[in-house]
Amino acid sequence: MVNPPASRPNVALSDDELRAIAQHLRREPSTVELHAFDAQWSEHCSYKSSRRHLKKLPVSGANVVLGPGEDSGILHLGEHDGERYGVVVAHESHNHPSQVVPFEGAATGIGGIVRDVLCMGAQVIAVADPLRFGRVERPHSHARYVARSAVDGIGAYGNAIGVPNLAGDAYFDEGFDDNCLVNVVALGIVKESEIVHSHAPPGADGWDIVLVGKATDPSGFGGASFSSVTLDSSDAESNKGAVQVPDPFLENVLMRASYRVFAMLRERGVVAGFKDLGAGGIMGCSAEIVAGGGYGADLNLDDVNVAVDGLPPEVIAVGETQERLLWVLPPELTASVVGIYNDEFTLPHVAYNARATVVGRVTQEKRYVLRHRGAIVMDVDIEFLTGRIDDELSYVEAIRHDPGHRELPAVDVEDVFPKILAHRDVCSREPLYRRYDWAVRGTTVLPRGAADAGVLAPVPGSTLGVALSVAGNPRYGRIDARAAAELAVLEAVRRAIATGARPLGLTDCLNFGNPHKPERYGELIAAIDGLGHAARELGLAFVSGNVSLYNESKSGAAIPPSAIVACVGGFRDVSRVVTPGLKRAGSALLWVGSRELAVGGSVLAEVLGIDGPLPEISYDSERAAIAIVETAISAGVMLSCRAISDGGMLTALARLAFDARNAGRRLGAELDFGNPLCEAGGFLCEVSDEGLVDVSGSLKVGTTIGEPRLVVNGTSFDVAALYDVWSKPLTEIYP
Amino acid sequence: MKRRIAVLVFPGTNSEDETLRLLRDCGGEAELVHWSRAQRLTDYDAYVLPGGFAYEDRIRAGAVSAHDRMMDDVIAGAISGKLVFGICNGAQILLEAGLVPGTGPVRRPTAAFTDNGPVPHFVCRHVYMKLAIDPSRCAITAALPNDAAIPAYAAHGEGRLAASPERLQEIVAGDHLAFVYAHRDGRIDAAAVPNGSALGCAGLVNREGNVLAIMPHPERDGWNFNHLDRQEGNDVLAPSGGAALFRSFVDAVNGR
Amino acid sequence: MTERTVAIELKIPDNEAYTALTALQRMDLDVDRVERSEIWHLDDAGDPATLAARVEANAAIFNPNKHRLRVLDGHAPRVGEIWIDEAGEHDEVREHLGGATIAGVSRASRSVGWRLYGPAGAPASGDTLARAVEGLLCNPAIEKARYESE
Repeated sequence: MVNPPASRPNVALSDDELRAIAQHLRREPSTVELHAFDAQWSEHCSYKSSRRHLKKLPVSGANVVLGPGEDSGILHLGEHDGERYGVVVAHESHNHPSQVVPFEGAATGIGGIVRDVLCMGAQVIAVADPLRFGRVERPHSHARYVARSAVDGIGAYGNAIGVPNLAGDAYFDEGFDDNCLVNVVALGIVKESEIVHSHAPPGADGWDIVLVGKATDPSGFGGASFSSVTLDSSDAESNKGAVQVPDPFLENVLMRASYRVFAMLRERGVVAGFKDLGAGGIMGCSAEIVAGGGYGADLNLDDVNVAVDGLPPEVIAVGETQERLLWVLPPELTASVVGIYNDEFTLPHVAYNARATVVGRVTQEKRYVLRHRGAIVMDVDIEFLTGRIDDELSYVEAIRHDPGHRELPAVDVEDVFPKILAHRDVCSREPLYRRYDWAVRGTTVLPRGAADAGVLAPVPGSTLGVALSVAGNPRYGRIDARAAAELAVLEAVRRAIATGARPLGLTDCLNFGNPHKPERYGELIAAIDGLGHAARELGLAFVSGNVSLYNESKSGAAIPPSAIVACVGGFRDVSRVVTPGLKRAGSALLWVGSRELAVGGSVLAEVLGIDGPLPEISYDSERAAIAIVETAISAGVMLSCRAISDGGMLTALARLAFDARNAGRRLGAELDFGNPLCEAGGFLCEVSDEGLVDVSGSLKVGTTIGEPRLVVNGTSFDVAALYDVWSKPLTEIYP
Repeated sequence: MKRRIAVLVFPGTNSEDETLRLLRDCGGEAELVHWSRAQRLTDYDAYVLPGGFAYEDRIRAGAVSAHDRMMDDVIAGAISGKLVFGICNGAQILLEAGLVPGTGPVRRPTAAFTDNGPVPHFVCRHVYMKLAIDPSRCAITAALPNDAAIPAYAAHGEGRLAASPERLQEIVAGDHLAFVYAHRDGRIDAAAVPNGSALGCAGLVNREGNVLAIMPHPERDGWNFNHLDRQEGNDVLAPSGGAALFRSFVDAVNGR
Repeated sequence: MTERTVAIELKIPDNEAYTALTALQRMDLDVDRVERSEIWHLDDAGDPATLAARVEANAAIFNPNKHRLRVLDGHAPRVGEIWIDEAGEHDEVREHLGGATIAGVSRASRSVGWRLYGPAGAPASGDTLARAVEGLLCNPAIEKARYESE
C-alpha cells in the first residue's frame, strides 16, 4: 500500500539510519516517510548527539512548574489575587537561516520562539536576542550585511506583533564571520491553573486535529536537516529555499485569536493540546503532540490549506511554512475554535488562504498515518518515529587553553580606558536595539539597555515583576569551553541580581561546531558539564534550551564554543527594583565579589595584546557576594548596582555615571583600586550606609562625588567625554 | 453618567491593551471594539485609535484602515464633534482619513507621518512631547498646563511629518501643531526630535480641536513603575507621567 | 550609462494586492483584480541579463523564495497601470539597497506599480485609475502618481 521511492531522495539520513528504517518497516520507506524520518531524526528535532549529555543538567527545583520536554519551560513567579502565576520561557537559535538570508532568518526566529511560548496558554510578554556576528568593520563585508539585516528582521517581527524586546547582547568576533549566531528567547505569563500542554490530554481518542495559520507553501522544505549540516558559501543560494517567509502581521492576529480561544476553553472547562509547528512541519508537530499523550494519528493531507496547488505530499507533510499551530480538540468544541480564528479574527482575510481547519484525528492505535489523494503515503509505528534515538559519538576532552601568563600588567588607564569603552564588545548597544520596540505593552520597569537585566510588571494591577538577562562570552569560550559555560551562568545570574531580582531559573542554547569531530564534540560536552555544575552550585535549574550544532563552514572553521545562558528573575514587589545610575554624592562604592584577579579573555587583554588564564571560579565567594547584594537591597541601602563584566569594574562605574547623566544627575566618582579593568566577576555597588554591608565580603573602592568626573587612581575623566567615546562606535553599523 | 469610549482594534493593532488599561485607570469607561464585531460604533461618545501596524501598513501606514468600515462611524463622529484621539499608527490613520490637520476633504490626506529621517529606520526612544498650543485650543489637551511636557516613547519607523511647503505653512498658520518634541527641561532643538519630523512635530490637531493625532506613546510611560526616575515611596501601580494626557482626554469625554 | 527599469513581483500570494482590491471595491470602484510590483529605475553600465543576475543576487531587495524579476521594455506605466513614485530626490543607491550595492549601478530609485483590471480582465478605465489614485493609492503629501489609460 505504501509505495517506495524510485531512487534515494536527497536526505541527510545516514546509511545506518536508512537501514534501520527499512528493517523496522520490513519494506523500503515511501518518499514521504523518508522525509519524515529525515526531519524527525535530525539533530534539530532529536538531539541525537547531545541528549545523553543534556541529561546531566539540573531540571527540577522548587521554582520549576514545568521543566524541559514541551515547547517551553515554566517557572513559578508568585501569587496575585489568590492565583499562582508562572513565567513561561523558551530559548532557541536560528543561526543557519540567519547566515543565509539574515532578515527572514532572524525574523522567523522571533516568530517561532513566540509561538513556543504562546502555545503553553500564555500571554507573550517579552523577547530577547543574544547575537554573535563576525567582523563588521569592513563596509561591504557579508558579516556587516548579516549584522544589519538580522537586527532589522528581529525588529520587523517583534515590533509588528507588539512584544517588547527586553534583553539581549551582541559580540563581534572573527569566529562568527561564516556562522552568525541568532539566539532568541521569549517570555510569557500564565496562571498556573490554566497552562495548556503540548500533548494530547487523557481521553483524546477520536479528537480533532486542527491546523491553524498560514497556508502551507513550498518554503522551508528541508529546514530541520538544513540546520543540522555545515554551511558553505557555495551552498548559500541553494539553501535559501530552506528559509521560510515571515508574516508577523498574521502572527499578531494569530496570537490575539489564540488568547480568545484560551479564554473560551477556560469558560468551558476543557483541557486541550496546543503546539507550535516547528521543525518537521505538520508531520513533526502532529506526531509529537499525539505521541506525547500516548496516541497515534490519522491525517489527510488533502485537507491542509495550501498556498499553491500541486504540492507533493512530502512538502505538505514536512515543509516548515511559518505561522502555523496545531490544536488537539474535543469534536464538540472544534466549530467554536475554528469560528474564532476564521470569522472573529478573519484569518482568511489577513493572509491568503490562512485559516483554522480540521486535518485529521487522534487515534488509539499507535500508528502515524498520512493520506494523500486517496492513498496512504505514510504508515509507521509512532513510537518508532518519535522515539529517542541516540548517537554515541567519540570525543576528546576539551582543551583548556592556558597561556600561563599570570602576572597582572601595569596599565596606563588614561590611554587604555577610552579604548576599552570604544571596544566593539563594550560600547553602547543602543544604536542596535533602538531599532526594536522595547516599550510596547506599557509594562516596562527597566527597559532594554537601562540595566544589566530588563524588568517588566506583566500582571495588570499586581506588583509582581519579571527580570530577564543573557550572557555568554565568546572570548572566554575560545580559552576554555567549560569555564566559559560556568561563567555564562554566573554572569546571567549576577545581571538579574544586580536589578534586585531573585533568580528563578535558567535556559541555555548550546551553539557549537560539528559533533562528528571529536574536538568539537568534546567542547560541547565540557560546556554542558560547566552549565550543570554552575547551576547546581547556585541551586538553579534549566527549564528550556536548545542545541545548535554544525556551526562551522566546510573549510573547517568552527565558531568559538558558545554556551549562551538566559536567567529569569522574579520580584514579588517590583518597587524594590534597583533603578539605574548613581544617585547621590558622598555614598560609598563597594566591590562585592571574588578577589581572584585575572585578565584572560578580557577586553583589556585584547587591547593590550596579551594572554592569560580565565578568572578562577569560587562558588563560595559567589554565593557570599550574592547574599551581600541581596542584603543591601532588602535593607534599603543599595542606591545603584552593576554586575562587573566586559571592560571590568571601571566600565561598570562608567555605566552608572552615564545612567545618572541621562537622568539629569551631575554625579561622578573617585575610584581607588589597583586593577579596575580586570574582569574578575562581581558587583559594583553604590550604598548609602556601608556599615550595613558585610565588610569581610566587600571592599570599599571609592566614593561618589557631585561633579560628572571619574577620578581613577588620580587620573581624571570627564563623564560627558567618556559617554561620547562609548556611545558612538556602533552608529557606523546601525546609523 | 460616564460616557463610553471605544478603543478600535484593527487587524495588526498591537497597543490596545495598555491603551485601554490607562484609559480605565484615568477614569474612562472604555472598551475594545474589534474589527469584525464592530456592528455599530455610533453608540460611543469618543474614539481612541491605538498603535500598531493596522493592515500591516499595506499600501501606506494608515491608508487601508482609513477605509475600514469602523472609520465610517469615526469620521461621522468627528464631524459631529465627538472626540477622536489617535496614537502612533492611530495618528497615521487619522492623517490618511483626512481628519487631521483636516485642511482637505475626508479621506484626502494633506500631510503624512512617513519614513523617519535622516535614516529611514524604526526608532524606539524615550521622548517628551511639549504642548505647542494653548491648552484650550484642543478639547483633549484642555486640562493640561501651558507648555506641558508629556513623557512618552517614540516607537515608529514612519513618524516624520511631511507635506508640501504650502501645506506645512497651513499647519502653522492654522495652529494645528499641537505637540513638538522637546528635552526633559523643555528645550527644543533638532537633537530632541527622534525622526526628522517637519516643524519638530509630535502631534497635530484639527481646526475644530476635537481630533488629536500624536506619534509618541504616553501610555508606555503612564504608570509610576514605568518611570526610571520614579520617587521612592510612591504607589508603583498609580497612573502618572504620560497619564496626564489620557486624564485630560477622559475629563473632556466626561464633560468635566 | 543606460536607464533600465526592472519589475520585481511576488510569486507567492500577494496579500497587499488583495487588501488593495478589497479597499478599492469598498470605494465602489469597478475593479476585479489588482497586481502589484516593485519598479526599480536603475542607471546601469552593463547589459540587461547581467543586471538581472546582479539584482537577483542582492538579498536586500530580492528573495528567490518570494520574487521573480522582469527587465521591462519601457520606462513608463502600461495601460491600466499606476506607478507611485516617492516625491523628492532619491538618488542614493545605498539608501534603497539597505547599505548594499549592485555592481555597475550608479543610481537607483523605486516606484510601486499597481495594475488594475476591470470586468472581463480588461485594464481598468482612466476614470477608475484616477479615483484609485486620489482615494487610496497615492498620498500627494509624499508621493506622485503616473498612470496610463486608453
